[in-house]
Order: sequence, then C-alpha cells, then structure tokens
Amino acid sequence: MCCSSFDGENYQEPVKAGLWDAGSIKGMRFFDPHVHMTSRTTDDYQAMFDAGVVALIEPAFWLGQPRTGIDSFRDYYSSLVGWERFRSSQFGIKHYCTIGLNSREANNEALAEQVMEILPLFIYKEGVVGIGEIGFDDQTAAEEKYYRAQLELAKEAGLPIQIHTPHRDKKRGTTRSMDIALEHGISADMVIIDHNNEETVKEVLDRGFWAAFTIYPFTKMGNERMVDIVKEYGPDRIMVNSAADWGISDPLAVPKTAALMKLRGISNEDIQLVTYANAIAAFGKSGQIDEADFEVIKTVDQSVKFEGNTVLRGGQQPRIDKSSIIIS
Amino acid sequence: MLQERKEFESLIHAIIGEHLATEAKQWLEEKAMLVREEKTASNLNLGFVTVPRKTGRQPVHITTDQQREIAEQIDGFSINGWPVDKLSRLWLLMQVNDSEKSIYINKIENLFKAAEMNELVALYASLPSFAYPEEWQLRCAEGIRSNIGNVLEAIMYHNPYPAKHLPEKAWNQLVLKAFFTDKNINSIIGVDERANKELASILIDYAHERWAARRTVNPHLWRLVSKFIDDTNFADIEKVFKIGDGTEKKAAALACYYSNFQPARQLLEQETGLTKDIEENKLSWTNI
Repeated sequence: MCCSSFDGENYQEPVKAGLWDAGSIKGMRFFDPHVHMTSRTTDDYQAMFDAGVVALIEPAFWLGQPRTGIDSFRDYYSSLVGWERFRSSQFGIKHYCTIGLNSREANNEALAEQVMEILPLFIYKEGVVGIGEIGFDDQTAAEEKYYRAQLELAKEAGLPIQIHTPHRDKKRGTTRSMDIALEHGISADMVIIDHNNEETVKEVLDRGFWAAFTIYPFTKMGNERMVDIVKEYGPDRIMVNSAADWGISDPLAVPKTAALMKLRGISNEDIQLVTYANAIAAFGKSGQIDEADFEVIKTVDQSVKFEGNTVLRGGQQPRIDKSSIIIS
Repeated sequence: MLQERKEFESLIHAIIGEHLATEAKQWLEEKAMLVREEKTASNLNLGFVTVPRKTGRQPVHITTDQQREIAEQIDGFSINGWPVDKLSRLWLLMQVNDSEKSIYINKIENLFKAAEMNELVALYASLPSFAYPEEWQLRCAEGIRSNIGNVLEAIMYHNPYPAKHLPEKAWNQLVLKAFFTDKNINSIIGVDERANKELASILIDYAHERWAARRTVNPHLWRLVSKFIDDTNFADIEKVFKIGDGTEKKAAALACYYSNFQPARQLLEQETGLTKDIEENKLSWTNI
C-alpha cells in the first residue's frame, strides 16, 4: 500500500528537469513488481505497454478507506485474479498478484478473522506469486498477530512474501518485520522488503532479504536517489517499483528510472537486473512466472471476453489515436 | 446523562437555536424526540444523514463567553468555525439513549461505517461528547489511519478526546501522522503534555530519513524531542542549532531551553539573543 493522502502529505514543489526520453531504453523489457492497477486507467496500461512494461504484480492492499464486511474482501481478491488480470491482458501486459490482509485492516480484528478464513481460497490460484502486501503500519499488536499468521500461511504454501514497511517509525518497523520473518523460520530469500530508503537498505541487504524501492513522488524515493543507491550498493537483490495507486504516482516509474540510470552511466545489464530480472527471480520462487507468457500476451486481441464482458465498448477500435483532437 | 454532559448539551442546543430558522429548528427538535425514544436506529440514521438539507451549512458564530464555557465543560474543546450542520449532528448524537451501553455503541458505530466524508468529520469531532468515552479508543485510532485530510483534522484539531483517552501507541501515531501530513501542531490539544521518549526517538529517526532524502524537517519536531535530549541525540540538536536555517535554529534553541540536559543548556548560552527572546516570549513554539 502506498503512499499518498489527498491533503498534501509533505508536498514539495516539483523540480523542473530534463524530459523523459523513451527512445533511450527502446527494446528493454520491464517488470513492475508493485503497482495497483485497479486504481489506474486504460491510458496507463497503454503507456506502460508502450514504455516496455511486459508484466506486473498487483499486491492486495486497502482501498483508501476501511472495508466493513467480508464480502468486500472476497470480491476484491476475486477481481485481482479475475477482471483486472483480464483487463491487463487486453493491453498486452501479463498481470500477477499477491494476496494478503493489509496491515491497516488487520486492526479490525473481527473482520480480520473472517479474512484469514478465506485467504486459502485465493493464495493457491494460478498467477498468485506471493502473500502481500503484509506487514506493519501503526505497529499494533493486531497487526503483528495477522502478520505472523500470514507468514505461516506463506510458509505452508511455499510462497514469497511481499512486505510493506511502515511510513511512520520506518526504520524500526523494517527491522522488526525482518526479525519476525526469520523467527518463523522463513528464509530471507523468500522475502521482499518493500518501500526501502537510504536509512533501511543496508540492513535489508546485509541480512539477505530482497530490497524493493518504490519510486513515488514526494513521499518515498525519487529516482535520482535510486540511481545513487544502485551506484553505492550494486544491482544484486535490488528491485524498483512504482506502487502507483490512486495518489499522485507514476505508472511509468520503472521505465523512467531505467532511462535515468542509463543517462547516469549504469550498465544495461545492471539496469535489467533492478528493473526486470531480480523481481522475476524473487517472485518466480512461487513457480507461477513463465517469461514465455510475456511474449504470448503481447499479441493482444481486445475482442476477447471475460464473463461476457470486453474492454471494448460498442464497436470500438482496439487502440485510439492519442494525437487526434477528435474523440470518436 | 452525566451532569457536565447535560450542561454541555443544553449550551449546544442554545447555540443551534440562535442559528436555525423556525422550520429547521422544529424539524431537529422533532427528530431529537424520536431519537430519544426509539429502540431501533431508524430515526437516528435518517435524521443524521438529513441534517445538512434541513439546517444548511452556514458557519456558527459564538460569543467569547460561549467559547470559554465550551472549553471549560469539555477541556479545550472548540467549535469555532463549525458549520451549523456539524454542530446539529453533534447535538443529535447526544440525544441517543445511552442507558444500554452495547445498543448505544452499536447505533453510533453503524453511522461511522456508512458515513461519507462530512459525516465522518462530524462523528470524529463529536468523540468528546459521546457516552462511555473509554469505549471509543479503537474507533479514534481507526480515524487516525484515514488519509482524508478533513477527517484527520476533525480528530487532531481542538479535539480533547485523543489526549485524554488514547493509549500511548495510538497517541504517538496521531502525532506522527500530523507531521507526515503537515498539520498544524499547535492545534493538537495535549501535544506537549503527552510528549514521550518513544515518540521522541521515532521522530529523530524520521528526521534522519528526511535528511537522507534531502527534504526539510518541520521545526516543531524538536519541540517533542526537547524533554528527551540526551547523549544519544544531542548531536542532532547541535547540528540543527549550528547549521539550520533561521527557523530551524530557533527551534533548536527552544528545544534546548526546555531541556534539562546540561550540554543543551550550554549550547543555548552561545546565543544570548535567542535566550532573551524566549524569556521575553518573543520566541515560543506557538509563534515560531
């Protein structure tokens, strides 16, 4: 779950810089291992496809406000493996997801108990590449309880774990998340610690976990800082994501960061590790990712239907000409 | 209803009366009567949502005497700038029969669950007027998880409930969230009284994170560190004092002034001008 609230959380004036040039990374393939497509538009899917994003992971999170009943959870999980996956395929992008009870809503214990009961129905489904995003938000006792219960679930299912680290009291929350995972006998290489920054990265890498970085304006990492981190720590076990959601975020954060890395002299090989291959190596431990699928899905047939529905409306053409002033 | 709640209720009733047209007043009185008498929640549910349509949203104007009285009855509470629908909602909620605890709580909880934004604002701002105050801790903590600015402000600003009833962890989340969302720290009731070591240490970690990202740090952060300056964090205060910009330097000076840690006091002595400003109240946490 990320990041933005709509009340100017730490808002800073945008800095004018160079324009983004997709040409410099043409031909590269990207994997965004954390992006909440449910809150994005079809324009975003098309822009991601055009920029080289071939596959993505949508972690289950909260919806900006707390759910009040179990059916809302069931429908949400079901949409992640259903309609949203289909929608993504219609734009040529392979959609995976992680399933879990997010930390904020773990605080509603009565509901959390019911969610724990239905999670097994979803975590074994095809294309579910992990338990996520789980972990701490306020770092309450209830959050810890359901974090631990889901670690056990992941262990039993042999699935990777995608861990959301808290905004507030981040450093200690990150350490604690790792301590608890190890305490449950989970191997560090099955755990992706997300939303890292300069203050957390060293410990995460030293302890053998995967370190994910969210490139998200104002509240998390900027991509210039990301470039510095890759220069300092190298590309091993590091991955970049957009965590794009309903807040001011950028679904092109992964390709843009790749372009900036290229501009700042990082090798193509290292760029591919942090924007593609490492994420596949980590979440591929689920046995659910086959890179060959990325090619198959690119040949889009938007007239395909999902439960009788298509993304096309009334004889629409699959792609629209964005440069035209006429919308017909 | 407790005596002090009763007095507060009648004061609010009087203020609403000064602001509503006859028709709206009659509607509200009638709904209030039904809400007081009903076993189910149907009149409450209907009344609560309908309030703005009947009352309008004009701001409430109160005298300084009324203001003082409210702040005395519910410590530090303020309804300054409230629209009349919000105040009418608070009053309507006070009409819910509270003789049976679980029924009372369920009725109000159900309003929270179905609330839109303005309703949430009214509900959270009304927390200090609810019966069984100790029962609303989890609800208040849930509100602090909100990402909606107005809702957060309804809990954080001029609301005595959190400082009085939240356990330390939830209280710390409120203060942290206030920093994360650039809220006005001066409007949080009890912010200095409930400062604690744990919070100070989390805030210092946060300052380090901001510095690593080359972002600015809210000077009020040092206000909450002040009483807990020690060997482990003195270097940070020293850094802010020596290389901070004007406001940051003033913040560090204030932090040192209210600290009992000897090196911090000595650091402040280097700037007699700032000490003098603090002593003459030209420089304080409220006017920094």
